Amino acid sequence: MKVTPIIGLEVHVELCTQSKMFCSCSTTHFHVEANTHTCPVCLGLPGALPVPNRTACEWCIKLGIALGCTPNLTSFFERKNYFYPDLAKGYQLTQFEKPFVVNGKIVIDGQEIRINRAHMEEDTGKSIHLTTGGQDLTLIDYNRCGVPLVEIVSEPDITSAQMAKNYLLKIQQIIRYLGISDADIEKGSMRCEPTINLKIETDDGQVIYTPLAEIKNVASLTGVQTAIDFELNRQLEEFKQTGEGKSKTNKTTRGWDADKNQTFLQREKEGSSDYRYFPEPDIPYINFTQAEIDAIKVSVPELPDQKVAKYQDVLGLSDYDAASIAQDFSFANVYESVLKSHLSDSNLKDFTKFTANLFLGAIKTHLNESGKDLDQSKINPQFFFDLFTAVSNSEISATVAKQVITESYQTGVNPIEIAKSKGLIQVSDSGEIEKIAKEVIESNPKAVEDYKKNPMSIGFLIGQLMKASNGSANPKMAKEILEKLLK
Amino acid sequence: MDYSTLSIPQIHQLLLDKKATATEITKFFLDKVKLIDPKIKAFITITEKEALEKAAEIDKKIANNQTIGKLAGSIMAVKDIFLTKDIETTASSQVLKGYIPQYSSTVYQKLLDQDAIIIGKTNTDPFAFGGSTENSGFFTTKNPWNLDMIPGGSSGGSAAATAANLCHFALGTDTGGSIRQPASLCGVSGLKPTYGLNSRFGITAMASSFDCPGVFARSVDDIATVTQITAGHDKNDATSTHQTIPDYSSLLDSVNLKGLKIGLPKEYFTQAINPEVKAKVLEAAKVLESKGAILKEVSLPSTNLGLAVYYILVPSEISANMSRYEGIRFGQTVPDGSNIISYYMNIRGQFMEPEVKRRIIIGTYALSSGYYDAYYTKAAKVRTLIKQEFESVLADVDVILAPVSPTPAWKIGEKCSNPLEMYLADAYTVCINVAGVPSLALPCGFSNNNLPIGFQLIGNFFEESKIMSIGHQYQKITDYHLQQPKL
Repeated sequence: MKVTPIIGLEVHVELCTQSKMFCSCSTTHFHVEANTHTCPVCLGLPGALPVPNRTACEWCIKLGIALGCTPNLTSFFERKNYFYPDLAKGYQLTQFEKPFVVNGKIVIDGQEIRINRAHMEEDTGKSIHLTTGGQDLTLIDYNRCGVPLVEIVSEPDITSAQMAKNYLLKIQQIIRYLGISDADIEKGSMRCEPTINLKIETDDGQVIYTPLAEIKNVASLTGVQTAIDFELNRQLEEFKQTGEGKSKTNKTTRGWDADKNQTFLQREKEGSSDYRYFPEPDIPYINFTQAEIDAIKVSVPELPDQKVAKYQDVLGLSDYDAASIAQDFSFANVYESVLKSHLSDSNLKDFTKFTANLFLGAIKTHLNESGKDLDQSKINPQFFFDLFTAVSNSEISATVAKQVITESYQTGVNPIEIAKSKGLIQVSDSGEIEKIAKEVIESNPKAVEDYKKNPMSIGFLIGQLMKASNGSANPKMAKEILEKLLK
Repeated sequence: MDYSTLSIPQIHQLLLDKKATATEITKFFLDKVKLIDPKIKAFITITEKEALEKAAEIDKKIANNQTIGKLAGSIMAVKDIFLTKDIETTASSQVLKGYIPQYSSTVYQKLLDQDAIIIGKTNTDPFAFGGSTENSGFFTTKNPWNLDMIPGGSSGGSAAATAANLCHFALGTDTGGSIRQPASLCGVSGLKPTYGLNSRFGITAMASSFDCPGVFARSVDDIATVTQITAGHDKNDATSTHQTIPDYSSLLDSVNLKGLKIGLPKEYFTQAINPEVKAKVLEAAKVLESKGAILKEVSLPSTNLGLAVYYILVPSEISANMSRYEGIRFGQTVPDGSNIISYYMNIRGQFMEPEVKRRIIIGTYALSSGYYDAYYTKAAKVRTLIKQEFESVLADVDVILAPVSPTPAWKIGEKCSNPLEMYLADAYTVCINVAGVPSLALPCGFSNNNLPIGFQLIGNFFEESKIMSIGHQYQKITDYHLQQPKL
């Protein structure tokens, strides 16, 4: 029996525009006093009318372009009808027939994942269920109601939980590159609903698809992976017991219980729900000229995959370093801004690697410890080039370089000056090193004995020499001189 | 002095000449309303306090030699589906009883800004669903010409108030004839403008792609003055026009009747029309012919499809527009909080009038999966066809002249048992809404039992200026609009 998971993802992303999708209320709703960012439009009061936010529409198209989609020059909103208290109007404005962008693809782990569409819609309010004095209450906060939401719908091309997670990470990274959302899954500004089933090829050549299950309420990245893995196993076990295949009426909706690490049945035997979509008569068709689309295309920055390829091919970085630098858009851009200080082509790749090491080592460690983002204003490209030159000329060791760049980042002082003031300039004067080496040999007779028995143990003596020189001795020369003296 | 028979410019002049104060005028109307309205029941709410406050404000401006608005001292009645800040707005439905809006509709606000004085909110069929006010959740308004008769609808309260001289002008809305038909049955003038000329913002929505706010007055002259103020783009209504608004008042004599081509659509003069109505409407055409206009029979072959298209598309939009009335954020509430579905059913079951439920059911059915293409999509296609027919006929003739209602006003209760018969009364008005073109209804005589009869002048998109000019010139040579009911 051969089992192949079939996974499609619906990803919702809240855009961080100033104002909501159809009114001028602020989009901020996380940790905001309930129902303070509302107006007649997002409260769905009688007579209120939606006026679309053009910036949000453009961002949806921008995201679509970044996902390789084709924009529709004319598109429109539709009403999706259903009742729920946090849906103020009793219908959600969304796109059904003519989304802004269609037919894209992205590559995950070398495999192409097709994107069916990315369409624009509005978020709902939040229902807060609580019990007070033994009474169950539901309160509604409409601050989130009407926040612009883009839904990205993939084709069911994903074949494992790991791939689903990587797909989400890639989408998140692209969204952050575009600066259109913080795409934070824990905060709910990015949400994911996987739809899953299995293709089962039995030993006697039958092909059966298990019933579709859509998983809701997955609120973390690891949750997505765990939930999908759980569901894949569950479906396989269920199939082994029932042998039931997919039909038009047996799609189910399952919730994810993050505490118990399992999915549970929410709605059974769901045919396609009848949302009675029809074109929103309150909003005229939305048109974009080809020139406007072209302008949006131009505004799409270099994307993660392109950056990684450039770092590998042009800058000679390792796969790991390239991906690490490209992980964050502004981090990558600051890195690139430093490279501009290298004006000639000679040693370019040495400089790019040197700088990458400082960024991924010293600077990132500092940022992680301080919990801050990289501050471009604290990065002086010339300092990196000066440091690179000093290391190339053996004036400063790589270790010292890491040390002083962190201090330079914090204080703004030239790292070479820092090294000088701390006496960390590397001694490459063989007479000077020889003097220290002799002292080290004299004061460590035991280590000398050891070395004579086992030449591999010279590391200890080098260490002592480096210590005696306050780390300023050229370590390569130190080793050579020690070996010469101990012959 | 009887301020109620004066025109808007005459009232304005009186104030400027200090021959009357706004307070005097307002008190005169309040007294008249208290005397007459119990007979016709045009008003749901009489806004005595607001009226006197506004009047005092105007008088203060005059005393301080400040500029007063163009409508200063003019008394307006407002259909109760226009939201009026701090004034109860019920839409004549029990479901909204007690609702005090926190914002005002754009059209109403523009009129307030020009110092118009609101005297009250007028009765209508609930949410404007109907043609007689008999569907109102409160009471039926009576025709001032015969208290046993309906005033027409849905804007029956506004038409009756205008006919009974309880205001200088009144606001209504016309989705399928709701201004023109009651104007016609009550013997006053009423303009259904081009879709999008007046903002819909702040008016409870019936069918969003059809609804047209407009005005009733005794003369076209006053309609032009008011429309001048209400018309134009509203940033809160994405479907409102961006056209430049002409100076309607100065253009009232601009159309030359000599050589004017008037089309008489043969589909509007078939056996279905009451012979008295037909005779009076054709007489109106002859009056214009006597001034040099050329009468020409034209054909709008899809007329018989108009009602079908209308009663599919309009309830479809209604079914969604009514979803927000669920008693959570505004309107009536019930103590039952056991579960959300039973709460919805209680609110909507208990407080929505039968016609409201009927249209929700029809619309929900038409939009349902499996029926959508057969009903909604097909009706939308025929809508385009009907629109093209109007455009094509109006390329051939300057204006179309047609009856408004197939009969004069009928007895209260006569058609209540048969909703379909009630719908058929809209046969001559709905196509104009399906197409979106403007139409002006004017009185043109009386039936043998002294009930008013009206006709309509239909122009091409945004040709309000043209139809008002023809209507104004018609009123210069006729006096039907000056007749008053004895109350």
